[in-house]
Amino acid sequence: MSDAMTDGTTDGGGAPDATVFADATQVAGTGDVMIEVESVDKFFDDFQALKDIDVKVGRQEVVVVIGPSGSGKSTLIRCINRLEEHDAGRIVVDGVELSNDVRNIQEIRRETGMVFQQFNLFPHLSVLDNITLAPRNVRKMPKAEAEKLGMELLERVRIPEQAKKYPGQLSGGQQQRVAIARSLAMKPKVMLFDEPTSALDPEMINEVLDTMKDLAREGMTMIVVTHEMGFAREVADRVVFMADGQIVEVGTPEHFFTNPQEDRTKLFLSQILD
Amino acid sequence: MSGAVTWLRRNLFRSPVDAVVTVIAAVVAGWVLWRTLNFVFVTGRWEIIRVNLRLMLIGRFPEAHELRIAVTVVSLSAWGGLLAGIVRARQVKAGRVDAGDTKFGVRRVADLAERFWIPLLLVVLLLALAGTVGPVIVAVLSVVAAVIGRLIGPVIGRLELPAIGRTVLVTVLLAIPVILYFYVVTAVGFDDWGGFMLNLFLAACSIILCYPIGVLLALGRRSTLPLVRVVCTVFIEIIRGAPLFVLLLFANVALGFFVPESLVPSTSTRAIVVFTLFTAAYMAEIIRGGLQSVPSGQFEAAKALGLSPVRQTFLIVLPQAIRNVIPAQIGQLISLFKDTALAGVAMGSFELLRVSQAITQQDDFAGQGLIGETLAFGAVMFWAISYTMSRESQRFETRLGVGVR
Repeated sequence: MSDAMTDGTTDGGGAPDATVFADATQVAGTGDVMIEVESVDKFFDDFQALKDIDVKVGRQEVVVVIGPSGSGKSTLIRCINRLEEHDAGRIVVDGVELSNDVRNIQEIRRETGMVFQQFNLFPHLSVLDNITLAPRNVRKMPKAEAEKLGMELLERVRIPEQAKKYPGQLSGGQQQRVAIARSLAMKPKVMLFDEPTSALDPEMINEVLDTMKDLAREGMTMIVVTHEMGFAREVADRVVFMADGQIVEVGTPEHFFTNPQEDRTKLFLSQILD
Repeated sequence: MSGAVTWLRRNLFRSPVDAVVTVIAAVVAGWVLWRTLNFVFVTGRWEIIRVNLRLMLIGRFPEAHELRIAVTVVSLSAWGGLLAGIVRARQVKAGRVDAGDTKFGVRRVADLAERFWIPLLLVVLLLALAGTVGPVIVAVLSVVAAVIGRLIGPVIGRLELPAIGRTVLVTVLLAIPVILYFYVVTAVGFDDWGGFMLNLFLAACSIILCYPIGVLLALGRRSTLPLVRVVCTVFIEIIRGAPLFVLLLFANVALGFFVPESLVPSTSTRAIVVFTLFTAAYMAEIIRGGLQSVPSGQFEAAKALGLSPVRQTFLIVLPQAIRNVIPAQIGQLISLFKDTALAGVAMGSFELLRVSQAITQQDDFAGQGLIGETLAFGAVMFWAISYTMSRESQRFETRLGVGVR
């Protein structure tokens, strides 16, 4: 067990001893809830992508969502910042309920950073401008201050020398680290990661995972959709396994990887760990 | 020597068919070249151009006010140099271009000559044809003014201005051409402008006006508000469905039936309105194509950062969309520039094409079949400008790094 893992559970104090969770609404850590997803359904035309999902994420908790493709894990985190609109149920982020009120949506988006599989950096802006754009326009931060913050964040993701370059001139791993820095520039309370390493060449995966581990260690609340089982094992407070739009099983990483209960989970793990 | 023979063998005479095609093509090309050179240097009677040069360039603009044109040309040169200098300095400051690229020297002059030798050659030809000192002085002063502007520009561009200072600077820079316009138009009404100057002016105004309208139409056509979408779509499709010539005729003749005589604007104003709306409709479709080429991930990233819909559009999507379709846009603007020649026939504007026809009816030249000379000369002027626009757009595109993702 890594340091991060030990910190995550012992700091919390109120963490349940049980290694198996009855459902995904039991949070690790302080018990202070940051994200609440309640009975959420999501349809794409006739296809039901999410079926009656209940999840809670505690403050400073790292939840890793795994599952086969098409299981609804990306859809779940995309619903949390309204890139997809849920059709039924409730989603509350830090006390603000996601409704059709544009102000609520904007408030939640300001507090929620998202990192995409395809990076989605703005190709027409320099690396530094990518990072400072949102703080300057949404938070109304003065240019000098935003650039200082941008450089600090680039130091943090260890590529300050790339500030003046354009995204197209960077490697995939560097681009994804810039994307993380761009999200952090809004000082979000929650970070959502949608398969952040799936589009990367193998040799670049670790530099991105290391950045994410740093973040987790610093106490960021994170939901991470990933296929990186090593990362889940090392950093997650809880692992949520999804299949066919439902949550099949929830547990601590030890429980999850050593003693899974459900057949569906066992099958998936046997496929992915081979 | 054997190298040349090998090259000929390989490229032009590889097989009997190749040889036949080569010979036929060479004969045709030689004949065309010979006829052209013969026309330009032997049979062509360019006297008509020399005599009517003034009409072709500025129409019936009163001689008393010619000085205003000279002042405007020199001022615009200075303004252009200033603008280029400011833009350059800001790019260097932003680290977007290497400062060394614009160091003044032989290479820089050679580079400029390479870019603009065609319009420069045209100017030299016109000065030679004019044969008087006045235009030469204006040309020299223009060059001097442009150089001075280009030298002062970077000094202004490097200034660390507060927001209010930037606003003032932009306002002043935008105001200069407007002031110059009024400086000329208060002396000589719009409808007395003519010749190639009118073509250039119609095109410049329409280009500036059609762009924002085209962008708004493109965005409107993609709007989620049904009313906005329908209005924009109907406008675009109606305009695109009608020939430009018909729209010009309509503006010229039919407008009078609907609007009281006193409210009908001048011919040139009506021409600008028609050119603007026509090109805006085409621009809208080009820009809409650009908007579609921006991946949906860009919207998602912008949304996820909490940018408002307006900022998503104007900061993220539109800049990329416009870059992606620069060649098509420039093509449309070149087309607009050439279409200004229709204003003469459709609306009676005294622009270059109409002048070229009219002067063949003068007493001195009537019935001598000189339309070939006048049209050829007009065509060369249009071509020189259009071709330069096209080349500059390619350069612009490379510098923006289109395709760099």
